[in-house]
Amino acid sequence: MSVKITNLNVQYNTGDEVVKAVNGINLSIEKGKTLGLVGETGAGKTTTALSILRLIPNPPGKIISGSIELEGKNIFDYSESDMEKIRGDQVSMIFQDPMTSLNPVMTVGDQIAEVIAIHQNLKKTNALERAKEMLEMVGISGERACEYPHQFSGGMKQRVVIAMALACNPKLLIADEPTTALDVTIQAQVLNLMQTLKEKYNTSMLMITHDLGIVAEVCDEVSIMYAGKIVEHGNLVDIFDNTSHPYTKGLFASLPNINKRSEPLQPIPGLMPDPANLPSGCSFHPRCKYAKDICKTKVPVITQISDTHNVSCLAYEKETIDEFGGIN
Amino acid sequence: MLEVKNLKKYFTSKKGMLHAVDDLSFSIEQGKTLGIVGESGCGKSTTGRAVLRLHEPTSGEVLFQGKDITKISSNEMKSLRPEMQMIFQDPFASLNPRKSVGEIIGEPLRLHKLCKNNKERQHKVLELMETVGLTDRLYNSYPHELDGGRRQRIGIARALAMNPKFIVCDEPVSALDVSIQAQILNLLKELQAQRGLTYMFITHDLSVVNYFSDHIMVMYLGKMVEYASAEDLFSNPTHPYTKALLSAIPVPDIHQKTERILLKGEITSPINPKPGCRFAPRCNYATETCFKEEPPVVEVSSNHQVACNLNV
Repeated sequence: MSVKITNLNVQYNTGDEVVKAVNGINLSIEKGKTLGLVGETGAGKTTTALSILRLIPNPPGKIISGSIELEGKNIFDYSESDMEKIRGDQVSMIFQDPMTSLNPVMTVGDQIAEVIAIHQNLKKTNALERAKEMLEMVGISGERACEYPHQFSGGMKQRVVIAMALACNPKLLIADEPTTALDVTIQAQVLNLMQTLKEKYNTSMLMITHDLGIVAEVCDEVSIMYAGKIVEHGNLVDIFDNTSHPYTKGLFASLPNINKRSEPLQPIPGLMPDPANLPSGCSFHPRCKYAKDICKTKVPVITQISDTHNVSCLAYEKETIDEFGGIN
Repeated sequence: MLEVKNLKKYFTSKKGMLHAVDDLSFSIEQGKTLGIVGESGCGKSTTGRAVLRLHEPTSGEVLFQGKDITKISSNEMKSLRPEMQMIFQDPFASLNPRKSVGEIIGEPLRLHKLCKNNKERQHKVLELMETVGLTDRLYNSYPHELDGGRRQRIGIARALAMNPKFIVCDEPVSALDVSIQAQILNLLKELQAQRGLTYMFITHDLSVVNYFSDHIMVMYLGKMVEYASAEDLFSNPTHPYTKALLSAIPVPDIHQKTERILLKGEITSPINPKPGCRFAPRCNYATETCFKEEPPVVEVSSNHQVACNLNV
C-alpha cells in the first residue's frame, strides 16, 4: 500500500496550553518498502503513527490540517465505520509495549480470532483455527492459543501482537518501537520474523524507532524527526554516509561505537524542547553547534540535496548558505 | 578494591529455590570499571545489590578493601555505607516525589550527620548540584517537574554526597534518550577520572558497556559465562552465548553486515535449575556432556575466563 502524508499538523489542547506535537510533516512510503521514522522521546513519532489510523484521542488531540492518503484516497474523507474496516485489516499496528497492548482477561487465541472474525466474516470456530495457524507462523505452538497473556514471556507476547497485526494480511504495517521492550537476542528473533513475513506478503512498513542500528538493518528509507518536524529524509546511503542535518550528525556522535571504544562521546547539549513552547525559527537552534543569529528567526524550509535526499536546515538554503560557510 | 568469592543469592519461591546468583567470583581494581552484561533475569541487578548487602547474600564473601562485609554487624555496615553507593535504573521511581531536589540530595548527609547545620548542608548540596550539572535554581523543584536526564543527575548527586569510593550503577542510562544518554555517560566518566571512583556498571546494552568498562563479565541465569577485558571480549568472544549476544546488536553502519547467530528459544527458568550448563538448551553447539556436567571455568588467555565445556 502506498502512503502519502502531506503537511500534517496535530495538536493537543490541554486547556492551559497547546502542545504542538506534529508540525507540517510530509512523508511517503511506496508499496512493499519500509520507512524508518527516527527521533527521541516527544519528537511526535507515535502521534504521526496514530494519525494514520485516525486514532488520535479527541479531545485533547486534534488534526489541524493536512491529508493522509492511503492508495491515493484521503482518510480524512472516510466515515468512522469506513475507518473501522481499514484498521486491523488493511492497516495494522504493532505497539511498543506487549505487556499492556494485550487484553489480560482474554486468551491469546480469542484475541487474534476476534480480528479475523470481524474483518473476514468467519465463524468463531474457523477464526480460531486461523488464529492457531497465525500463532504457528510466529513460532508459538497452536496449542497455546487457549492460554492467557500472563502465561507468556515478553518476547512471546510481542510475537502474539505481531500475529494479531498480521492476521488479516495488512497492506501497511505500522510498528511503533516493536523491540524496545525486548532483550537483544529476542529482538534479533523478532526482527528476523518481521522481515521474513514482510517479504512474503510484500507489506509496506512504517518502522518507528530510536535505534539507528535497527534502521540500518530493516529500512529502505529514513526520516529523522525533531520537535514535530522531519529535519532530514533520504535513503540509507544518504542518511548514514552523507549525514547532513546537524541533529542527525549529533545523534550519530552520541552513539558509543563498538569498533572505536576510546573515542569520547559527543552528546548533543541541552534537552528536547517542550512541544508546548517550541523555540522560534529553527526548533533545533538552541542545541545546534552551527547555529547563527538567523536560525533564531527564520524557519527553515525543505532543501533538496539530491533526488532522494532532503534536509530542513538554513545552512543548506540558497539564500542563507553563505552565512554558514559549510557545516562539515 | 572489591573482591567477591563464591557469591550466592537464592530466593525461596512457591515453585522452589530460585537461583538468582549462583557461585560468582570476581574482583574490581581501584579506579576501574567492571561491566556486568546479560539479559533480563540473568541476575545482574541481584549481584549489584548483594555486593552492597541490599540483599543479604545466601553464601560467599564480599571483600571491600580487604574486609568481608557479609560478616560484619549492621552498625559496622552503616558506617561503611557512605563509601559504597548505588545509582538506580529508573530515575522516575527512585526519587521520592514528595521531596524537593535539595532534600533528596541532602538526605544522606542528614542521615549520616555529616553537616553541622542546615546552612552547611545547603552549601554542600549546591556544590554537588554544580558537579553534576544541575543549575541551583532547581534546588526547590520536585522530581515530577524534571525530565529523565536531570532526574538521573539527581540520583548521581545523591550517590556522590557521601563521597563514596565505590558505586554500583544499575542500568543508569537505559531509560534515557541517546543524546541524553551520552551526556550522562560522559559525566560518569569525568567523575571517575576526577575522584578515582570504582564502578560496577550493570547494563544490557553491549555498546554502552564496551564504551564504559575496563573489564566485562557476561552472565547467564545467575552464572558467569565469560570474563575478559573489554577489548578482548569484543575482539575474541569465546562462549557461544557471548558470540550470539554480540552478533545480535544492530550496528548503526550500513556497510558492516554481521552474520547474525540466532538463538533457539528463550531464557529458561532459574527455579531449581537442572544440572549441566544452563545455556545448553539454547546453545547451537551443545553436546550430551553439556546437559550433564557443569562447565568448568577455563582460562583461555591471561585474564580471559570462559565457562564452557567446548573449551575444556
